[in-house]
Amino acid sequence: MASDSSPVKFDNGPSSPDDSFSSPIPNTSSPAHLRRRGRRQASTPSSAAATPPPNPSRFANSAATPTPTRSAKRGRRTANSPTPAAAAATPSSTDDFPPPSSEGGDDMEEATPTFVWGTNISVQDVKNAIQMFIKHFRDPQELSNDIYGEGKYTRMIHRVLEVEGEWIDVDAHDVFNYDSDLYNKMMRYPLESSTSMRNLNPSDIEKMVSLKGMIIRCSSIIPEIREAVFRCIVCGYHSDPVVVDRGRITEPTSCLKQECLAKNSMTLVHNRCRFADKQIVRLQETPDEIPEGGTPHTVSLLMHDKLVDAGKPGDRVEVTGIYRAMSVRVGPTQRTTYIDCLHIKKTDKSRMTTEDPMEADKGSQRVADDVQFDEDKVEELKDLSKQPDIYEKLTRSLAPNIWELDDVKKGLLCQLFGGNALKLPSDASFRGDINILLVGDPGTSKSQLLQYIHKLAPRGIYTSGRGSSAVGLTAYVAKDPETGETVLESGALVLSDRGICCIDEFDKMSDNARSMLHEVMEQQTVSIAKAGIIASLNARTSVLACANPSGSRYNPRLSVIDNIHLPPTLLSRFDLIYLILDKADEHTDRRLAKHIVSLHFEDTEIAEHDVIDLGTLTAYVSYARKNIHPKLSDEAAEELTRGYVEMRKRGNFPGSSKKVITATPRQIESLIRLSEALARIRFSEWVEMRDVTEAFRLLEVAMQQSATDHSTGTIDMDLITTGVSASERMRRESVLSAARNIIMDKLQLGGPTIRLLELLDELKKQSSGSEIHLHDLRTAVATLASEGFVVLHGDSVKRI
Amino acid sequence: MGGPPYDCMSNPLGAVRLTFEKAIGLGSETLTHPSAFDGKDWGALELFRHFLFQESGLSQVPILNPKTLRWVQHNCLVRYRGMIQDMLGNEFYVGAYREEGCSWRTNKFTDVSQYAMESPSDTCIWERRLLYCVPVPGQSSWTVLSCDMDPKWSSQSREKRRRMNDEDEVPMDLAPEDEVKRSPITKKMRENEPPASSEPMDLKTASMSTIQFVDKDNLPCLVKIYDSPESDLKLNDVFEFIGVLTFYSELAVEKDENDELSNILYDDARVHLPPNKVPRLHCLVHRKLAVHDFLLGSPIMEPKPHLVKEIREALFRHLTVVLGNDGVAAHFMLLHLLSKVHTRVDDVAVGKLSLNLTGLSKESVSVFGTRLSQAFKNLLPFTNCMPLTLEYLNTASLAPKKDYQTNRLIPGVLQLPEGSHLMVDETQLESGSLNSIGIDNVKLLKNLIEFQKVEYDFQYYKVEMAADVQLLIFSEGKSNIVPADLIVPFQPSSLESSEIPVGEALEAWRWYLATVRSLPHSIGSEMQKVVEDDLVAARQADRSLGSRDFSRWLTMARLISSSLGETSLTLEHWQMVKEMERLRKERLK
Repeated sequence: MASDSSPVKFDNGPSSPDDSFSSPIPNTSSPAHLRRRGRRQASTPSSAAATPPPNPSRFANSAATPTPTRSAKRGRRTANSPTPAAAAATPSSTDDFPPPSSEGGDDMEEATPTFVWGTNISVQDVKNAIQMFIKHFRDPQELSNDIYGEGKYTRMIHRVLEVEGEWIDVDAHDVFNYDSDLYNKMMRYPLESSTSMRNLNPSDIEKMVSLKGMIIRCSSIIPEIREAVFRCIVCGYHSDPVVVDRGRITEPTSCLKQECLAKNSMTLVHNRCRFADKQIVRLQETPDEIPEGGTPHTVSLLMHDKLVDAGKPGDRVEVTGIYRAMSVRVGPTQRTTYIDCLHIKKTDKSRMTTEDPMEADKGSQRVADDVQFDEDKVEELKDLSKQPDIYEKLTRSLAPNIWELDDVKKGLLCQLFGGNALKLPSDASFRGDINILLVGDPGTSKSQLLQYIHKLAPRGIYTSGRGSSAVGLTAYVAKDPETGETVLESGALVLSDRGICCIDEFDKMSDNARSMLHEVMEQQTVSIAKAGIIASLNARTSVLACANPSGSRYNPRLSVIDNIHLPPTLLSRFDLIYLILDKADEHTDRRLAKHIVSLHFEDTEIAEHDVIDLGTLTAYVSYARKNIHPKLSDEAAEELTRGYVEMRKRGNFPGSSKKVITATPRQIESLIRLSEALARIRFSEWVEMRDVTEAFRLLEVAMQQSATDHSTGTIDMDLITTGVSASERMRRESVLSAARNIIMDKLQLGGPTIRLLELLDELKKQSSGSEIHLHDLRTAVATLASEGFVVLHGDSVKRI
Repeated sequence: MGGPPYDCMSNPLGAVRLTFEKAIGLGSETLTHPSAFDGKDWGALELFRHFLFQESGLSQVPILNPKTLRWVQHNCLVRYRGMIQDMLGNEFYVGAYREEGCSWRTNKFTDVSQYAMESPSDTCIWERRLLYCVPVPGQSSWTVLSCDMDPKWSSQSREKRRRMNDEDEVPMDLAPEDEVKRSPITKKMRENEPPASSEPMDLKTASMSTIQFVDKDNLPCLVKIYDSPESDLKLNDVFEFIGVLTFYSELAVEKDENDELSNILYDDARVHLPPNKVPRLHCLVHRKLAVHDFLLGSPIMEPKPHLVKEIREALFRHLTVVLGNDGVAAHFMLLHLLSKVHTRVDDVAVGKLSLNLTGLSKESVSVFGTRLSQAFKNLLPFTNCMPLTLEYLNTASLAPKKDYQTNRLIPGVLQLPEGSHLMVDETQLESGSLNSIGIDNVKLLKNLIEFQKVEYDFQYYKVEMAADVQLLIFSEGKSNIVPADLIVPFQPSSLESSEIPVGEALEAWRWYLATVRSLPHSIGSEMQKVVEDDLVAARQADRSLGSRDFSRWLTMARLISSSLGETSLTLEHWQMVKEMERLRKERLK
């Protein structure tokens, strides 16, 4: 089949001499890139006619309906219908419907008028109409200057002949615009309808349908005989090729050679027969089409020739074909159905090409990963992104059951969208992931926020610090020997590569696991030593952690580090640290109580107004992460620099030697990531001034909460980076020098010792006013001891 | 109609045919083209409904199970009770056809045309849905209907069967190579049979070959649904289907080597579920079964409070004894047994109340676990146990999984119908590594207990299905693998075994559990205020309380109120909740 009756060949009226307009071929897009955008409009011609596609380039691109393909292929199938039984059993079959474009050409010119079965449509008329269309159709966009140029489809046919292709794609719009009658005929015989697999019903049989779905199984390639050659075993005469007719080959009963005429002597010569490829593919509904409480439907597809292996299991495709039913041996009253496939379009090419941090790998994944974006959805998301208050709206929609905490939610939103990961040619890389730490009192819905983000994030892992070994590739069941409590220790970070790792009870995480986090949060890898080999695994993950203060309540007098006992080095890896303090506000409590009561006793759903539902939100996030990669505009970059310098300046108090670090270079990176995420939220390819301003605001809100030195009221990054504020450091220094002075005064070199408590009393005497604790002194003495000034034996200090 | 000219029981297709002929107007002036029906009902169902429900024919219709399968007739009316385990999509069939010169005939409700369908000149293709049904997992024995049929009917049919045997028309194939395989199963089946219903030997052996792989408790059935919207029947629903049985080997798959295409296209259900192994039921009438439908003989009682309280008291005493005189645990257990998911708001399954009994060791579980399990089997329709060991976690398939080779949904342990009870015994869980299956399984269990949802694995994607399963966990310490709503340290004080409850009491308890669970519930505005104030006060006093705790309290409040047969929350109930929580907290210390 492959060579001779290539469906386009014969209807290449255009290649006959009479239409040899010769002209260079301007601006056509290569057929390889043609996409079938026009499909949907095609089935609603009236609306399509009313609103012609506005965008010329898109129009050119949308030369996509597979119409000629299908009609062309039909013709071939007519000759060798693979469904002999069905053809016989169901006379309503349009198998013998002469396809408009493919019949004739060479040998059927003289045929008596044939009609499409059951209609008065003359095959000849249709054929002529198609030739007219091919020859005379001019793309309105090109009309302007080249009226005598070659028609769009003539050119395409030429091209397809050159590349030995088998079909061209025709935009049904063009057909409609040129000849609406032809269009109607094309659409109705066979009738094409875009439908869902679930809605296929007996009335669709023998009609053209188009379906979306996912390929779940492909059979091996089946050779199908198209032409058979027989040989006479008596005289050795080879018959002419016998063509398959309605799925059957008629074996000559006697030798055709006049001299021989032996009966029943013909045998098949296999290696001279011609075969074509055939394949049976099973298509299954995609998750979004499955109704509640149902299982996905499947349908079989019959693929021929070039369509064989056009898709592989797991691909999401849109297929066009003729729905057929045929009888089966297992039950004479039953019919098995399949789609005689004419065209297949993969719908998820984008997934292969992007190198996005969230790009889905193969394997077990959350459903959210599989959110596919058809054009309607994309349009919807884009419309959404254009709303002026989209940022606010998204914030509102994030965990709508948790009230207030708007700035925290905004931070989380930024984390969900993420910044751009950057890899420099010098192999230096900057992470795009934003890490957030929530610190706060118990019962402040931190965990709920985590759970929510976990659900929303494309590849969220939720784990408790108590059971995270962070690195293990497997999980481990551990049992507390004393209480018998069981916990699951899981290697959360590796599992959440390219996702968000939500760690609850971060403070309870083992030191070992935490030290791994250093690497994860800066290098984005995890090193695992196993069997003497150190493997470095990717863990490109954002960390969202929440920690409870080590006392039962957060002590605002102490620094964050003192409150949660986390090493400062780790703390500084978080872009944003939020303090969520429970203000014991009766109003909030009442609201919670009301909410829970209504949840239990009112059947009416608590409708949250004006929020985006979870599904859309997930899609919005995934789409943005996949497709939007904002860059810094000059203006934004300038603002970043200016803002950063200003932040640093705030630490310099004029006329004072006191120097407070109010911002570190890490913050610049954080700011860039935040601004990028904010631009992404708006689906904007450019980071604008306002994004930077908002990023500064977010950072400052977070810092204000967590890095404010309570004794001075200013932001002090040292609180985060070292756990000691500048004012505290100064205080310690003064204690140190006072202690040194006292020791110098009171103690002789190698002389008698002095007890710490005595020393403390002395200190207190000298520095009346400021409070000095024993542990402050102990620290000071330890420092002195390290200087080799004194030695400390238990409680007694000796000068050396 | 003075006595219908057909027998709905033994010749349902005849009845269908009559109505069809009437509907197309056979014998009258104007003929209706059957395509006008489009496969929809033309009045046959009304006839059967009338027969089943008005003339109380339902009780005469034999229940299809491995035992009855041996004597029920092909093309007879049967009923089947089971869970929809898989949906095999739609099947097209020649619904009506006409031979040259003959009138229209229908193939609805049958797989085989009753007349030879040589070369019909006209056909109508209709569609029907295929549902693969299995007996409900963990079904308690008391829910299984006994097969004591109307003796007249069954003896009659035996008569028939015997006659057919004589005429050698039994449509069963006796493949000789099955001989060996068959004998142990035959033996097993005999053992399982109560002596009362023993049947003639010849019958048993004659039909054995067809049901050799159908073990006693597991007779699947392929149900073909004709007239019902898709939304009526959902996966995991428990239904009773009444319809025409197709079960004989003539339909066995003939491997037609020549027709390669049709074999490949037709490789799904019908090949993997050959009709001589899995009976087909062409469904005429179906109804969703609630627990009430399993209660035999008990009159439908009004849930009057005093009556309910009496039964509650008795049941509570029973549970207390079963739980070794631990009254507190028995209180919580009672509420747990009454819990069900009432509504879902976002991700919150409101109404669930899973229970974790802690302080159990391997040894004590063997005593109390067995006792409880026995008690549940007597009380609840569907009970299941899960021994949570490392090996189990690492190997078991908890989630149903789609097998694309056979195009079937392979059932998982967690494919359970609404209202199932699941006991998880975590006492045997040792420390150790989980493999990837184990991780998935732990996640599944966690999702089930937290959100009452199970992810079904369709390989290329997962589909989340809502579930409503009561979970009871036995563990040494608090289980963080399967975190329950309620943690109750179990403190039995006696090992005295409970008396076996008598039938009447059991029936009352079953009725109680089934009825009370579905009582409506409301809260007065005054009470609402009280509850809210209490919640606020509680939170002011203890900041660690969160929505989870409040939610639990309210669920308990509702259940306590319902358990007493009342439909609105009173102050008394609310105080009981607070008292129970106090007692529980004391134990947790």
